[in-house]
Amino acid sequence: MRRLAGLLFILASAAFSIAALSFGPAPNSRLLPEPQIASEQNLAVVVNLSNPVQNLSMPELRRIFLGERSHWPNGRRITLVMMESGQPERAVVLRDICQMNETDFNNHFLHGVFTGEVLVSPKTLATPVGVRKFVFNVPGAIGYLRVSDLDPSVKAVRIDERGPEDKGYRLHVPPRTSK
Amino acid sequence: MNGQNKRARRRTLAGPAALLDRVLALASPYNSSLLLLIVFLVVIAVGLFVIRDLHTTNVEAQKMYAGSVLGLRRIGELQYQAQETRRSTFYALTTNDSNLQLEYADQSREADRRVNEGISEYLLQARMPHEIELGKRLQRDWSEYLNVRNEVLASILEGITKEAVNLDLKGGVPAFERVRQDLEEIKRLYDEQASQQLANVAATSRRTIFRLIGVLGITLALASASVWAIQRSKMLGAIQLAKLQMEFVASVSHELRTPLAVISSAADNIADGLVGGKDQLKRYGSAIQNQCRQITELVNQILLFASTKDRKNRYTLRPLQVSRIIDAVLDNTAELVQEIGFVIERRIESGLPCVMGDLSALSQCLQNLIVNAVKYSGESRWIGIHAFVHDSEARSSKEIRITVQDRGMGIDRLEMPHIFEPFYRGAAVTAAQIHGTGLGLSLAKSIAEAMGGTLSVVSELAVGSIFTLHLPIVEKQKSEMASVTSKPDPSIRT
Repeated sequence: MRRLAGLLFILASAAFSIAALSFGPAPNSRLLPEPQIASEQNLAVVVNLSNPVQNLSMPELRRIFLGERSHWPNGRRITLVMMESGQPERAVVLRDICQMNETDFNNHFLHGVFTGEVLVSPKTLATPVGVRKFVFNVPGAIGYLRVSDLDPSVKAVRIDERGPEDKGYRLHVPPRTSK
Repeated sequence: MNGQNKRARRRTLAGPAALLDRVLALASPYNSSLLLLIVFLVVIAVGLFVIRDLHTTNVEAQKMYAGSVLGLRRIGELQYQAQETRRSTFYALTTNDSNLQLEYADQSREADRRVNEGISEYLLQARMPHEIELGKRLQRDWSEYLNVRNEVLASILEGITKEAVNLDLKGGVPAFERVRQDLEEIKRLYDEQASQQLANVAATSRRTIFRLIGVLGITLALASASVWAIQRSKMLGAIQLAKLQMEFVASVSHELRTPLAVISSAADNIADGLVGGKDQLKRYGSAIQNQCRQITELVNQILLFASTKDRKNRYTLRPLQVSRIIDAVLDNTAELVQEIGFVIERRIESGLPCVMGDLSALSQCLQNLIVNAVKYSGESRWIGIHAFVHDSEARSSKEIRITVQDRGMGIDRLEMPHIFEPFYRGAAVTAAQIHGTGLGLSLAKSIAEAMGGTLSVVSELAVGSIFTLHLPIVEKQKSEMASVTSKPDPSIRT
């Protein structure tokens, strides 16, 4: 009899556990943070306000970011501004504009500077604010910023006649991960 | 009489010292308060003057501080921020780290923003054309320097240090030198303004000191003059009193000596058996009696005066009919008036209300006025007594006025304020050798005031005088009680 009661208790406990797992998470599980889901942002290519350029084609942009073009149409020297390695914005530029990975990009510049094929070596800055300030201060600078980091101190150029706010714009950057 | 009067007046007006004494004597009842008031007003005026000057100095000092010291501080701040703009640009040259270079660029731009604010503030404060011109020149030069600075910063950030240095040497140094010179010129301008304003403040301060010394000197002189005048006035008063008392003693002695001489002579004649017959003896007796009455009256008047001065006299006030008072006075003076052949015109308005007073005292008061009228009437030998109701000038009710008028020598205008003073006798009266003690009017005035009334006078030289006794009217019930005990008066009797 005592054995039968013990067996029934074990069966009941097992049934309760199965039911609890089947009908949803435990009450405590609601307190855990849910993973954030945010939409992608466009990545704007920015130049100094004094720069007369309004639009660039993707091939032109590629030449500029690979250091193969040295001056703007107004005669100003081009200064390329990149964010530090590991930043999602840099990754987007390498992938979508330069069509290279990090290693290829670095090798391209090492090789180009050595052979004299590359005319401009990029400046590396840590933050989007630094990029914005650099572009503001240097008339021939070109860099990139998320749309949310834009302000009137810099000018976003159109790429293939599309601005960062337009539909069909080609540069997208994943949202920043919250720490 | 008039000649003597004029001579007496001429004597009193001789010399400026006498004139000053006379003025002081005239103002003697008020001089202390008057002089103190004048000194007080002068001190207030001086105080206001000094306060105004101090205020002006203070305003000048504030203007100097606001205009020059603050201006110099502003220029100092401008110079510092301009240097900071340039210094931060140079700091960017010292590193290859783009992030650090951006920080220095930010610092340089922040400093140049402050410089621009400072220049705008200076232009707002500038009033003179050359100040405005200088401010605009500084603005222009600073803007030119900033253009070079921006190029230098761009070159530094691009990593072309050599180009940055060349740009600065070529354009930055001369542009900044021009800015520095502009700032120096503004500073010099402020220095000049500060020196000018400092000189103004010093001049105002000096002027204030001189004024202060001046007005304090005037105040001191006025205060000394006031003290001197008060002292002199008191001394003059004491001398005047002593003189009056001496005159009074002489006058009383003279008044006593005449009847005493008559009495003595009569007594001698009787004692020597020179008086024979009953009729002659009776005549001598009557003369002695008259002279004794005169002496008694004189002594009574002196005692009465003494008692009023000691405030020992206690009057019994009761409602009195005006006609009764006047009748009593006329009875008392009838003998005197008849002796010298005077005419008294008596006019009493009918239905006059009663007055509150002491019959004996009021009789004495009016009697003194009539005796004076007899003394000073000269050749006219006419006296008018008039009683009537009139609006009171002091109170808002009506009053009884009893006037005693003569057509005699009149009173000098300058002597009018003194005629009610005890022992006072006018110069003309003394010169005319008219006997008297100088107590009659003083006594009459004291009595009038003791009855709640006043005594006033209107007089003109060689025309005559009118003395008016103002008495308050008693309440109706008391008046009716008085009228039951006496008969009505005829309205006019001559």
